[in-house]
Amino acid sequence: MKGVFDLYTARDTFLHRLDPRVKILAVLFLSLLGFIMTNLIPLFTLLCFIILLLYLTRSTFSKAYFALKFVLRLMVLITVLWPLFDQSGTPVLAALGPIKITEPAIWRGLTSAIRIGCLATVWYILMFTTTQRDLVRALVKMGLRYDFGLALAISLRFIPTFGFTIESIKDAQRARGLEFDKGSIIRRSKNYIAVLIPAVVYALRTAETLSLSLQSRAYGARKDRTYMREIRMRSSDLVSLVIVVLLFAIPAVAKFVFGAAI
Amino acid sequence: MYALKMSGVSFVYEGAEGHALDDISVSIDEGEFVTVLGANGAGKTTLAMLSNGLIPHAIKGTLEGSVKVFGYDISKHTVAQLSTLVGMVFQEPESQLFCMSVEEEVAFGPENLAIPRDELFKRVEWALDLVGLKGLNERSPATLSGGQKQRLAIAAALAMRPKMLVLDEPAYALDPVGRIELYALLRSLTEKHGMAVLLMDRDSENILEFSDKVVLMNSGRILTVAPPSEILRDIRNFRAIRVPPPQIFEIASLLNSRLTGVDFSFTTLDEAEAELLSRVPSLPRRGDTR
Amino acid sequence: MIPKPGADRSKRMIEMDNVGFTYEAGVEALRSVSLKISSGEFLAIVGGNGSGKTTLAKLMNGLLRPSSGSIKISGAPAESQSIAELSKTVGYCFQNPDHQLFCTSVEDEVMFGPKNLGIGLEESRERMERALSLMGIFSLKTMSPFSLSLSERRRVTIASILAMTPQVMILDEPTTGLDADESSELMALIRKLNADGRTIILITHEMKLVAEHADRVIILSDGHILLDSDVRGAFSDLEILKASRLLPPPVTLLASRISSIGISRDLLTSDEFVFELSRRYGSR
Repeated sequence: MKGVFDLYTARDTFLHRLDPRVKILAVLFLSLLGFIMTNLIPLFTLLCFIILLLYLTRSTFSKAYFALKFVLRLMVLITVLWPLFDQSGTPVLAALGPIKITEPAIWRGLTSAIRIGCLATVWYILMFTTTQRDLVRALVKMGLRYDFGLALAISLRFIPTFGFTIESIKDAQRARGLEFDKGSIIRRSKNYIAVLIPAVVYALRTAETLSLSLQSRAYGARKDRTYMREIRMRSSDLVSLVIVVLLFAIPAVAKFVFGAAI
Repeated sequence: MYALKMSGVSFVYEGAEGHALDDISVSIDEGEFVTVLGANGAGKTTLAMLSNGLIPHAIKGTLEGSVKVFGYDISKHTVAQLSTLVGMVFQEPESQLFCMSVEEEVAFGPENLAIPRDELFKRVEWALDLVGLKGLNERSPATLSGGQKQRLAIAAALAMRPKMLVLDEPAYALDPVGRIELYALLRSLTEKHGMAVLLMDRDSENILEFSDKVVLMNSGRILTVAPPSEILRDIRNFRAIRVPPPQIFEIASLLNSRLTGVDFSFTTLDEAEAELLSRVPSLPRRGDTR
Repeated sequence: MIPKPGADRSKRMIEMDNVGFTYEAGVEALRSVSLKISSGEFLAIVGGNGSGKTTLAKLMNGLLRPSSGSIKISGAPAESQSIAELSKTVGYCFQNPDHQLFCTSVEDEVMFGPKNLGIGLEESRERMERALSLMGIFSLKTMSPFSLSLSERRRVTIASILAMTPQVMILDEPTTGLDADESSELMALIRKLNADGRTIILITHEMKLVAEHADRVIILSDGHILLDSDVRGAFSDLEILKASRLLPPPVTLLASRISSIGISRDLLTSDEFVFELSRRYGSR
């Protein structure tokens, strides 16, 4: 259950050590690049760069496969379907009744697929190398209110626990003869009521103890809370940040100031 | 000074009919290990939640009487303020651990109190060492065993440097060995660190070994407060609260009522062995004909 | 009419041959477990937290499938049967009632199982009423399960399994969270189920419970069977109990210490102990 939600793999790479704030900014900038680029070659270069970074995360194959298979499917789907809906331009390569496939549409489909690929995979660089804990810390440090950060952290912490509980509830109902995959769609969704209700009851009970527990440990006692672990920007993080900004700024300036076709 | 002093305390939960607590008066000394014994519905959880102010601050109802911890009136101080005096450990280990690492879990309370960073590190190491979880700083609490989870909950409470620890049936889901280990840990807190411990329990088997004082509760009332050796004088004490007596003690009482000419007073295994070995062989034998 | 399972002791209900189980993450939870359980037995599966008790039980009704070895239920291979089919023979009652209660009334809750098995409304109703009576909660029929006490909720869950008329009932820690009175009332009902001929498999770490109720004990430690014997045999082996994070009841410890005065070493309850002494020495 845990693997599904937590893509982090403990490794000691440059990307793991990098300040999570720099990583968040880098991912944001790389996504923006994906948006402003419109041509195939620059986008393809960007995708290759992202894939290189993903490779450098040294994530386990199973996690990477799990994460990337959706993206790959999406890219294939876009490439195939795009020309069917976008019929502008010439030359026409094939025509069947009202459907015609044009060459520019194929390129546009491929470009869009690569752009989506960039936008979707770039986040995995962050997820593969940053613990949920550091992610939340970074967000709080970047200005997210502590309460929201804590709520986010608690949700992430309880996702696997909740997953186990749901599995246990499903088992308990299976032991009472309930077959989840049997019957019509309506029947099947109705079956899930037998899981949903106990799960909600469990969640409410957990929330109650949780709230008492938070209060018992002085949650919200003072405005000037301290933090045991602080994220510190080291010189290497700073250098990385500069590189990230340049990586974004150079193509952006080239496009918007000098009108380069990228 | 008393660690906890309740005088004439009654409590009715909002929307409930009967009294959860009914005219309770009890006091606990500093550094004392007190076990509260009672069946389900005796009022143990209510008593626990009063002692750090969760009642009446977080849980509503009608409260009468006065509750003071180390001289502070709980109704006049917030739960957060009281948290430096009273640490709380709940029954369910899972839902009271909400951080993503063991270390953060322990640091959470002191961080809220804005304790300086150097001190945070010290406290976390101290608390983890005390409960035997040293070195597990980076582990996710969800991956710990049941016994470890309860130890972590204790460490998280200890990091606030309270002078009393209140635990609501912390051992109920633990296996027998895990249970004994937990009691031994609590005992060491009173002995080595002078902390008062208020343990809500429904298992009487270990009261003699670990508690200084036992409170017997039934339906929201306190029936008796006495040292375990006194509680273990009359088996009716246990019948009254619907909690099984320690088995060795039960045997002594049963033997006294079944055999003539005996008055066993053993309460521990060693005492039982000694008394039975010295007394029984001299008793008149029944028809050796078999 | 609910068919009453007969207590034919010679009938094999569960047969496990060299069963192993490894979780997806590669954790080996059970290894080379072989056992036979006959009709009408009252068996306790004991072991510390994490010893593999629950894994073993889940294999018995198909919630888990063995990684190696074979399992026969009532003589037929378990692998070819769905969980629903197996649940007609092996009922599994989970530890936490809150993981299964979801209906608005106790009667709906108890009829849920029979309905899933395709039993008609009329018979489902009969089964429900009989199961509620067996658990002593007929009067709660129209109540909402969520308004009941833990002890009552647990009885509802047992009734909901009973209504599927399994010949084997697996009860996972049925007394957790109950106080002494609630616990002994529940165990009395469970004994009655056993006396009616049902096979009872009790999963627990409460040795007092085992001493008082079970006939046979399987001690699990670290995923394998450490001991499979009648209860007295199990309790006389103090070393094995300790090795598996279990504690024998104090009475057993006492009996073994004073066996020199001629009482048997394997006494299980206070009453047995006192009876044994008073049988030999002067009584009132």
